[in-house]
Amino acid sequence: MMDRRAALRAAALTAAGLGALSACGRGFGGGGDDTPDGAVVLTMVWWGDNTRARKTQAALDVFQRKNPGITVRTEYQDSAPYKDKLATRFAAGDPPDLMAMRMDSLREYADRGALLELAGLDLSGLGESARTLAAVGDRTYGVPSGLNSIGFVVNRTLTDRFGVRIPDGDTWGWDDLGTFARAVTEAGDGTVYGTGFDLFTLANLFVFTRQRGEDFFTERGTLGITAGTVQAWFEMAQRMRDERALPPAGFMDEAGSSAAQSYIASGKLASQIIPTNNFLSYNEAAGGNLALLRMPGETQGVRRGQSIDTPALWSIAARSKHPREALALLDFLINDPEASQATGTTRGVPPNQRVAAAIRPGLAKDDQVATDYLIGLQGETLPRSFTYPPGGSSIAASLETIATEVEFKRQTPADGAAAFIAEATKALRT
Amino acid sequence: MSVLQQTPVAVPAPAPRKRYRRQDRSGYLFLLPWFAGMLFTIIPFFASLYLAFTDYNLLNPPEWIGLANFREMLADERLMRSLRVTVIYTVVSVPLSLAAALGVAMVLQQGIRGLPVYRAIFYLPSLLGSSVAVVILWRYLFGVDGVINKGLAWFGITGPAWTTDPSHALTTLIILHVWTFGSPMVIFLAGLRQIPAAYYEAAAVDGAGPWRRFRSVTLPLLSPIIFFNLVQSLIASLQTFTQGFVMSGGTGGPADSTLFYNLYLYLRGFTQFDMGYASAMAWVLFVLIALLTAVNFLAARWWVFYDD
Repeated sequence: MMDRRAALRAAALTAAGLGALSACGRGFGGGGDDTPDGAVVLTMVWWGDNTRARKTQAALDVFQRKNPGITVRTEYQDSAPYKDKLATRFAAGDPPDLMAMRMDSLREYADRGALLELAGLDLSGLGESARTLAAVGDRTYGVPSGLNSIGFVVNRTLTDRFGVRIPDGDTWGWDDLGTFARAVTEAGDGTVYGTGFDLFTLANLFVFTRQRGEDFFTERGTLGITAGTVQAWFEMAQRMRDERALPPAGFMDEAGSSAAQSYIASGKLASQIIPTNNFLSYNEAAGGNLALLRMPGETQGVRRGQSIDTPALWSIAARSKHPREALALLDFLINDPEASQATGTTRGVPPNQRVAAAIRPGLAKDDQVATDYLIGLQGETLPRSFTYPPGGSSIAASLETIATEVEFKRQTPADGAAAFIAEATKALRT
Repeated sequence: MSVLQQTPVAVPAPAPRKRYRRQDRSGYLFLLPWFAGMLFTIIPFFASLYLAFTDYNLLNPPEWIGLANFREMLADERLMRSLRVTVIYTVVSVPLSLAAALGVAMVLQQGIRGLPVYRAIFYLPSLLGSSVAVVILWRYLFGVDGVINKGLAWFGITGPAWTTDPSHALTTLIILHVWTFGSPMVIFLAGLRQIPAAYYEAAAVDGAGPWRRFRSVTLPLLSPIIFFNLVQSLIASLQTFTQGFVMSGGTGGPADSTLFYNLYLYLRGFTQFDMGYASAMAWVLFVLIALLTAVNFLAARWWVFYDD
C-alpha cells in the first residue's frame, strides 16, 4: 500500500500544477550503487505475490553462490501499479538492470531505445514460438520468463453437489459452456453462477477472434479484428447473461485480482478463465478440486484460438551500468535448470524445453497439471501471438469502456462494436 | 488543519508595525518549513510549465512542440468526458456538503451536552474521507452484496450495482464526499460562536421566528465563512483524484464514469507515457481554478458581508 500511496502523492503534486518532475526519483531505491570492494550490484524488479518472491529469491541465492562478486537487489510489487512505477523509474534516469516487462509495454520501451538488444543471449533451447514471442522485427528485446496460456477452471466440488456434468474440455464449444453454466446457475438457486469472464480482457477476446479466422493485432501491427467479431462477442455474452449463465452486469468487476479474492475461490462462480501459470494458487484458494479445461470453441472454429503466451518478459535496460552481469543473470534464469527448480512454474513453464523437461518430475502436483496442459498445447499447431503495437494499451482502455457500456445495455452490441473499431483504428494511427 | 490557520475571520486588524516586530519574527520562523518545502516544488513547478510545450514520453528527452498539446486537448473527447465528470461531481457535491456542514453545525451549536464528542464524531469522516482505506471500505459497503443493498433488500428493493454500474458509480462518490462534511462544519461552528447573542435577542424581541433569524442574522454574519468554505471546497473538489482512482482500480471506470480530470491526467502521464500532455493538462486545470477563484472573489462583493 505504501508504494501506491507514494504514486498517489506524486500524482497529486503533478495535479496541483506543481510539476511532473517531482515524481522523478521517488518510489524505487537507487540502482547501480556498487559496494566499495568492487562487487557489482544488480537491481531487478518484477510483479507478483509473496510466494513468487520466495521462489525468486531462492533462485537468486543460487545465482549469487555461483557468481561471487555479483549481488542482486530485487524489488517486487502488485501487478496493478507496476507499469506506472516502471515508467517513473525510467524517467528518473534510474532504470533497473533486469526487469519484468509487460507484453503490451514492450514496444513502448523498445521503440524508444530504452531496452538492450539481447543479441548475446543464448536462446537455442527455446522453441520457435517462445523465441519469437516478443520479437520486434528481427531483434529481441524481451525473453519470456515462462510460458503460459489461458484455461477454464471448473470447481468439481460444486458441479458434483449440483449433479451437473462437466463437458469434455478438449472438444466443448461456447454453446456447451452456456448450457453448462445455465444448469449450474439453476441448480445453485441464485447463490452460484455457472461462469463469469471479462469481456474486455484482451486474452479472452484474442482466442475468440482467432477462432473466427482473424487476428486481433496483425503481424504488421495493424488492427485485424472486424466489427462483426466484436459484435458477436458482445452478443454471445448478452445472450448468456439473459439466460443467467453469466452473473449480472457489474458483478465481475467487484472481485479482486488475486486468486484468493476470486469468485471461484469464494464459491460464487463454478467456473472462470485463468492464466494457467496461476493454476496452483487458484486450486489452493478454491479448495483443491479444480479441473483445468481448454478454452471452448477450439474444435468448432475456423481455426485454433489458443496460443502460447508469457505472463511477463524479462528485459534489460539499455542504460544498465552492468549489461554483462545482467545478461549473465538472465541467462541463468532462462537456461539453468537450477533456477527453474527453485522458481517452479510461478511464471509459467520454463521457455527452455530442456529445462522444462528436467524440472518436470520434481514439480508439485498442481504445477504438473498446468505444465502438462501447456506441453500438450505446445505439441499442436497453434496460431502465433504477435507483439502488441504501440498504442495497444489505449486500445485496451477503450475496449474496457465500451464493453461496460454494452454490458449495462447503454449501447447495443452493434454500436459498441463500431465505436470500438473506430477508436482502436485511431489509437493505432497516432 | 492548515485550512483552519488560513481562516480569514480570526485575523486582527492591522496594528502599528513596530509593536509587532517580535511577533513578525516568530511568524517568519513558523513559515520556514514552508519556504524549505517550496524549494522542492518551485523547480518542478517551472519544469512542468516547460514540459507542457513538449512531447515528452519519459524515456527520451522532451521535444519542443509549441502549442500542439493544447490543440490536442481541444479535440480530446476523453478529456471532455473527464471535465464533465469533475464538474458534475463538484456542482452537486459541494453545495450538498456545505449545506450538511452548516445544518449539523447549527444543531451542535444549540448547546447539546457532550458537544466535543459529537463534533469529533462528525469531524472524523473528513479526516478519513479521501484516504485509500475508506474508499475501499466504501466499495464493500456499496457492493452488489454489500451492506447498503442488504439493507434495501429488507424493504424489498433491489439495489443497483453502486460502484460498477456506470449510471451509479459517480453518485456513490458524491455520497462519499457529502459524508465528509466535517472540516467545513468545524469552521462553521467556530463562525457561529462569533455571532453575538445580542443580535438574536434583539431579533426575537422584534418578533422574528427561527427562519427569519437564520436568514437575517445568521446567514449574513456567517457569509465570510461560507465564502471561505466555498472557495476551499471548490478547489479541493476540482482536484479530486484518490476517490476515483481507488474506487475504479485506477481506470476511471466503469465506462469512464469516475474519470476525474486529475485521474485522466495521471493515466496520460504515467501509463500512456504522455508526460508533456499531462503537464499541459495540469496547467490548464491550474489556470481554470485560478480563474474560478478570481470570479468567486469578485462575486463575493455582492453577497459577503463583513461586520467590522
